[in-house]
Amino acid sequence: MTTLTHRPGATTARPSRRRLQRPAGLPWILPALVVSVGLLYYCIFYTAYLSTLDWDGVSPLKDSVGAANYVKMVGDPVFRGALWHTLVFFVVSLVVQVVLGIVFACLLHSKLYLKTFYKVLIFIPVVLATATVAPVFRQIYAPDGTLNGLLGAVGLGSLQHTWLSDPTIALLIVISVQVWQSTGVVFVLYFAAIGQIPPEMIEAARLDGAGNLRIIASIVWPSVRGTTIAITILTAIGSLKTFDIPFLVTSGGPSYGTEFLGTQIYRVSISFAQVGYGAALSMVLLVLALAAAVVINVGGRRGSATDV
Amino acid sequence: MFETRRVRTRVLLQVLLTVLVIPFVFPLVAMVQGSLKGAGWANYGTVLSLPLLPGFFRNSAIIAAAVIVIVLVCTMTAAFGFSKLHIRGKEFFFWLLLACLTLPGVVLLSPLFATVTRVGGYNTLWAVILPVAALQIPFTTLLARNFVDGIPNELLEAARVDGANTVRTFWYVLAPLTRPIMAAILVLVFINSWNEFLLALLFLQTPDHQTITLVPQYFVGQYNNDQTKVLAAAVLTGLPVVIAYIALQRYFERGLAAGALK
Repeated sequence: MTTLTHRPGATTARPSRRRLQRPAGLPWILPALVVSVGLLYYCIFYTAYLSTLDWDGVSPLKDSVGAANYVKMVGDPVFRGALWHTLVFFVVSLVVQVVLGIVFACLLHSKLYLKTFYKVLIFIPVVLATATVAPVFRQIYAPDGTLNGLLGAVGLGSLQHTWLSDPTIALLIVISVQVWQSTGVVFVLYFAAIGQIPPEMIEAARLDGAGNLRIIASIVWPSVRGTTIAITILTAIGSLKTFDIPFLVTSGGPSYGTEFLGTQIYRVSISFAQVGYGAALSMVLLVLALAAAVVINVGGRRGSATDV
Repeated sequence: MFETRRVRTRVLLQVLLTVLVIPFVFPLVAMVQGSLKGAGWANYGTVLSLPLLPGFFRNSAIIAAAVIVIVLVCTMTAAFGFSKLHIRGKEFFFWLLLACLTLPGVVLLSPLFATVTRVGGYNTLWAVILPVAALQIPFTTLLARNFVDGIPNELLEAARVDGANTVRTFWYVLAPLTRPIMAAILVLVFINSWNEFLLALLFLQTPDHQTITLVPQYFVGQYNNDQTKVLAAAVLTGLPVVIAYIALQRYFERGLAAGALK
């Protein structure tokens, strides 16, 4: 193979000719297309079909009901609640993760001790399954759990609370678990992006008298814009997909206070056996996820165009 | 990044970093501490002596291994095709694949359930393996294509001029060069498939088919919600991924970063 790279003659073909000469590649992408596109699009079309039915998922009786399942959604307070929770979840988790991610990335690019150790600690929550850590969070926030124990121990017993039975606090807890689990990813992405900023640029700003905060605001933040957009898309889609955390930590409760689209689809399709309605909710979720990706992508590009 | 020439600033920043990391470590400490309450290490003994436990581990390992093989084969061949070969309507296919990136797994619930029961796949590992692999391939293909794009065409052309066909070019030129991204994909896919919960919950009904992520729930039922055993089980189920991550940390972060920077 080493002899191959020493043949300059092989590289002199014109670009246009080269393209024509390229071997056919369709067979090479077929496995991926069959497994992924095949299976997933099959499911999507099947879901679209199911969403026009009134079906319990088992009986041979399937009534076609047209758009009735979609109409039902409009008047469904649980569905509206789920949308609202998703929005709150998205905004709060995005802001907290971006701030924490940038601060961690900047700190770990500085000359400090034990950087790898800190990195690993921030990242361990990312690799642990929600199913693994959910019992811990239930334990921490339980009435006789760690948090109330701590509050009692430091003399703040008056602040003790049955945390998971208050819908607002339960939602904040779900968000905090999400932040705990995904700040590591956001941090790694920012860490890589900040590594691409030329050190001379920061050096020059420092010579001009810029402090640490000023450097973050005027140099780091604009430089990592692309990463921020990517993170916004990831967080938006992640928020719409949210399932494991509310399902395992709060079970969507109390009184639907932490119901998300994912948990509602599960509840409706599996527990209530309303497959048609669950499918209709799935279609809405899918459209929202696609729309979010497109809107943020386009919005982000337009923003960067006006910057130039 | 930050100016750390003065000792005071350096100490301050080190303290800030430590304080910010505490909330990330606290639940982990609480987990280990909780698992040692009551009977202490005997909690782990109880969990480990459960006759079904090796089965849970084995099922998770089989699922992870199968998903890794399927995803790696599909991803590397597709990345090669998309990046270096001639395909009519290439970008259309690529976008078809990328659109799946936004697909929430829960959307697959009803159609998969209906299909899996019809073809008799209910309560088999395949019902989890195939959908999990399908959901990973769009992202891994994006990562791998970006990586393969960075390999000079001249290398592959030189191989062709010397008489290697496409298969040999893939195997002897591309495969060795793409090892770093393959390692990154391997860790990523291992962690994601090991941690899969929803599909396992839905399709694996009997304990001898269930996976490690269902263990804490299983213990809630088995031990009448004895928190210490549940937490010991949680620690044991989390260990393999933590070890895998720490051992392959370099590749993992590089892979994630490679995907985002392009």
